[in-house]
Amino acid sequence: MLFNSIEFFIFLPIVFICYWFFLKKNIKYQNFFLLIASYVFYAWWDWRFLSLILFSSILDYLIGLKIFENKDREKSKKYWLWISMTINLSILGFFKYFNFFISSFIDAFDTIGISLNHYSLNIILPVGISFYTFQTMSYSLDISKNKIEPTKDFIAFATFVAFFPQLVAGPIERASNLLPQFLKQRKFDYKIALDGASQILWGLFKKIVIADNCAPYVNEVFGNYSDQPTLTLITGTVVFAFQIYADFSGYTDIAIGVAKLFGFDFKQNFNYPYFATNISDFWKKWHISLSSWLNDYVFTPLAINFRNHKKRGIFSAVFITFLVSGLWHGAGWNFIVWGGLHGLFYLPIIFSKKRFTAISTAKGPKKNTAKISDLPKIISTFTLVCITYIFFRSETLTDALLFIKSIFYNHSITRAATIETSVILFIILLVLVEWLQRDKQYGLQIQSLKINRIFKWSIYYLVIFFIFWYGAEKQDFIYFQF
Amino acid sequence: MNEYLNDLSNLFREVLENDDITLNPETTANDIEEWDSINHIYLVVEIEKTYQIKFKSSQILEWKNVGDIVSAIIEKKS
Repeated sequence: MLFNSIEFFIFLPIVFICYWFFLKKNIKYQNFFLLIASYVFYAWWDWRFLSLILFSSILDYLIGLKIFENKDREKSKKYWLWISMTINLSILGFFKYFNFFISSFIDAFDTIGISLNHYSLNIILPVGISFYTFQTMSYSLDISKNKIEPTKDFIAFATFVAFFPQLVAGPIERASNLLPQFLKQRKFDYKIALDGASQILWGLFKKIVIADNCAPYVNEVFGNYSDQPTLTLITGTVVFAFQIYADFSGYTDIAIGVAKLFGFDFKQNFNYPYFATNISDFWKKWHISLSSWLNDYVFTPLAINFRNHKKRGIFSAVFITFLVSGLWHGAGWNFIVWGGLHGLFYLPIIFSKKRFTAISTAKGPKKNTAKISDLPKIISTFTLVCITYIFFRSETLTDALLFIKSIFYNHSITRAATIETSVILFIILLVLVEWLQRDKQYGLQIQSLKINRIFKWSIYYLVIFFIFWYGAEKQDFIYFQF
Repeated sequence: MNEYLNDLSNLFREVLENDDITLNPETTANDIEEWDSINHIYLVVEIEKTYQIKFKSSQILEWKNVGDIVSAIIEKKS
């Protein structure tokens, strides 16, 4: 079920009413109901892969208990952790990377003159697999590091894994934040619910009005890059930057907003990333739940092992972490290059300053404090990010390289994609609103502003009007493919 | 414990370039702005150098607060 579908807007009120009006008194019933609702939400897309989620939940639930039982026996603890990691990564590896590894393997043999039969399986990628496997893996990892204790309540755990607002595209919640919320009574709070509803509205605006309206133009530019003039290729890349941001942060806003309606508090996942003043700052503000996951479970263990190599060690850890991040996003060399470039952009930061900031901080984002005088830094960081998007958006690595070549040197210009003026105006509106609201959790968080009530409600109605009037043809959320 | 806390506070002040740091056993990375994941590595390196000890990597990953760091140092020194 998509957040931007009619089904969802029938599903949501039904779940909301049953949850608060009929099951209010008993958290066990509430949790069980949310679990069933979440499975229905997922089954709407494909019921066959529900078994994978259930399997993943049972696996890490049991292994979590086993690791805790053996917390003073280092060897047994490691043994159980390895079982969890191996099975989780094998499932992810099979569904996501099988064909990629097979074809890369065949290509490698091709280049040394040995020709192998092309062989690939028709594997469908189960939606959300990269998100929920990371969530269950972090549970077992945190127990093994004595950071959290396992729960004995299977229903609460299974709901933590499958909770529908964050099941298919995150935020990748940690057990330390979300699991305890399933174990205690939730209270309905009108203010928080209103805040949630306005965050959902903002998410829908970003997705339906901005991202989906950018899509046709971006598809045209990236689909026929060899025919387009330089300026169009550059504009197409910049518009894609706003498309993917509006798409993914819009999704996240809806997820966080829906969670608020049910009395849950998710961690912030975006903190106005395009106002970042360097690449490290960008990664503290973009897809925070993933970058802090990679920070805790990939970067930190590597950097600790490499610690005697000083800055070289730290750079290697950063670089490897970004290659993993690339691979997480997709099974393709273009994603690996995308990650590698972000890693390389850390070089000047690591080697020029004595002290600098991290890939991401697990502390959660602080208020965005960008100033107008930071503009040159903001623009140069945004430019670097846009360069990497060419690799991210192109179908293959070859396409990305040819796209870049076409920017500098192009003989066969036969057309130029055109963009609607309204799309450009909406992008400008987004940037202005977010700049003014950058110290808030999201752009439309206007409840606390000291402005007239009627004016406030007019803004809400205006956003609703935009959604219905300028809403584009429905598109899938980009991050579903990861 | 206290004598280590004083020494560590000095070490943290120097590495993180913040003179306002005063550690107690419950202090965590959340309490100190500059204590992020990369500076954490510098802190570990500096602690190992100062006390001439070598931690196991897996042990470092289990630290939750300054108290855990002090216990690890005391354990290594004894």
